[in-house]
Amino acid sequence: MEDHLEDYKFVSRLDHVKTFNAAIKSICFNDYAMLQVSDEGLRITVEQGRSIQATLFMPPAAFTEFHVQDFQSFGLKMNALSECLNLFGTADCSVRMLYKDQGDPLKIILYPYDDEDVSTECAIKTMDSEEPIEYDLNLKDSDLNTIFVRGPNLSKIFHELEKSAEEFEFITSPDRPHFKITTIGIMQAVFSVEVAKTSPMMMMFNCPQTLVARYKSQQIRLTNKAMQAATKVSIKTNTLGLLELHLVMQGEGQEEIFVQFYVVPLLNGID
Amino acid sequence: MKFRALMQDPLYMRELQNIIATLAKLAKDCIMILGAQQMHFIVNEDQSSTSSPLVWVSIAARDYFPEYKMEAARADQEYIVLTMSSANLGRALSVLRGGGVNSCKLKLQRIQFPCITVIASVLSTSSTEAREVVHDVPVTIIPASDWPTYVVPRVPASQLALSLPSLRLLRSLIDKLKNVSPSLEFQASYDGELNVVATSEMSTVTSRFRRLLPRFLSADEDREASCSVDSRKASAFFGALQLANEELTIGIDREHSIHLQIDVREDVVLHSILPAVCA
Repeated sequence: MEDHLEDYKFVSRLDHVKTFNAAIKSICFNDYAMLQVSDEGLRITVEQGRSIQATLFMPPAAFTEFHVQDFQSFGLKMNALSECLNLFGTADCSVRMLYKDQGDPLKIILYPYDDEDVSTECAIKTMDSEEPIEYDLNLKDSDLNTIFVRGPNLSKIFHELEKSAEEFEFITSPDRPHFKITTIGIMQAVFSVEVAKTSPMMMMFNCPQTLVARYKSQQIRLTNKAMQAATKVSIKTNTLGLLELHLVMQGEGQEEIFVQFYVVPLLNGID
Repeated sequence: MKFRALMQDPLYMRELQNIIATLAKLAKDCIMILGAQQMHFIVNEDQSSTSSPLVWVSIAARDYFPEYKMEAARADQEYIVLTMSSANLGRALSVLRGGGVNSCKLKLQRIQFPCITVIASVLSTSSTEAREVVHDVPVTIIPASDWPTYVVPRVPASQLALSLPSLRLLRSLIDKLKNVSPSLEFQASYDGELNVVATSEMSTVTSRFRRLLPRFLSADEDREASCSVDSRKASAFFGALQLANEELTIGIDREHSIHLQIDVREDVVLHSILPAVCA
């Protein structure tokens, strides 16, 4: 049934589909995704407009098997990919991913563990790739406010925040309140949560300056699913207010999958 | 016209309950054909939005009922043919799901209207006396002149049939595949491989089941058979099934239909036909 593996430019295998599936679902907010594979790993990027970008990144170590020739990049439909990974529901599967060349489909083969005589092969059509927007947060370190927090705690905070709010304001500061999230709702109703840097949910706190920026709540909410699945989250902002959320998801075999969001601030958020 | 049947084995009672519950999930009305040796239930293909397929069950009376008596309206007739609401019948039998049922009687009688009376004798924990739970399910008696439209369907002549040891994975797959494509192609080979293929604009999903047992083979040169069917119909069948993890036989009549068969017991068999569609 399988062609020769050497014909493929990208061959990989994952022992468990679950975390990969959760990570894919968490960035499924737009149907078009850009996939890039190189020696460094696999990257799947989804954008919405020019204001939010999510990238799933898996280093070769996250795979049981990982081979790639050169640099491969193509576009695909996120829903098709997510649908395929979900075919066996909650049953645990191992996954093989294969890609031959420009214009060929991405093959995903699922092997459920509880029946070795069953497998499912999905051939997902690929498209020409566009270049993802580069949001460079690689500014001078002194210009960055960085916070590391435990994923489940942060997810809970976001869960408790006003659902109907229109805007989110993030304050990071060396002085109290250290880290404050405020929601601004219709009629300017305000609700806020403060997290002190001494809080047990803080794993690291490095904010040399006070930064205030506002974001569209719709966009912040797009990160919810990823936050629920994350074990650790790093929050970085710079003077422009560009927000980077870097989430770590841990798989069953302790392999790590990273999901990174860039959110562009609202203009009126900067004073 | 007389009909009376008695069940006593709790396992059989539960099986009958599951069979009727399956039919109740598929269609509003069900046909009951009572013969001298066999009892048949049929639910017809639903043309409306639910798109459920034709399903029928044939039960050898001696398998389930230690007492079974059927007298047709006239001596020269072989059957009694009834129609009823499948939900009503399902509800009447739902008492068999719980434990402590001693026996269950089915009886055709006329109160103010003809009905099948289901009488279950249930032991309760609080009393030594058994309770009787009685349901009267209204039925319509079909006159012999209309019988030609109420015949038990014939099993199609499949070129190839494979039997699947477990339904579980196929069932959840088909449920997911109906979202991928409106039609599913079943491809079977004499080597015991079954492929279920769903094709959409963006992807092709092929599920492969290997090492299955080929059941009966026609004297056919071709070593493969395939047929495309409506995925919502297939999904409706698998979604309705209340029988626990039984073995399923999938027969393929090339370009015509797929025949699904579940052998609950040797002589208690559930069938369904999924007609072919253009892929």
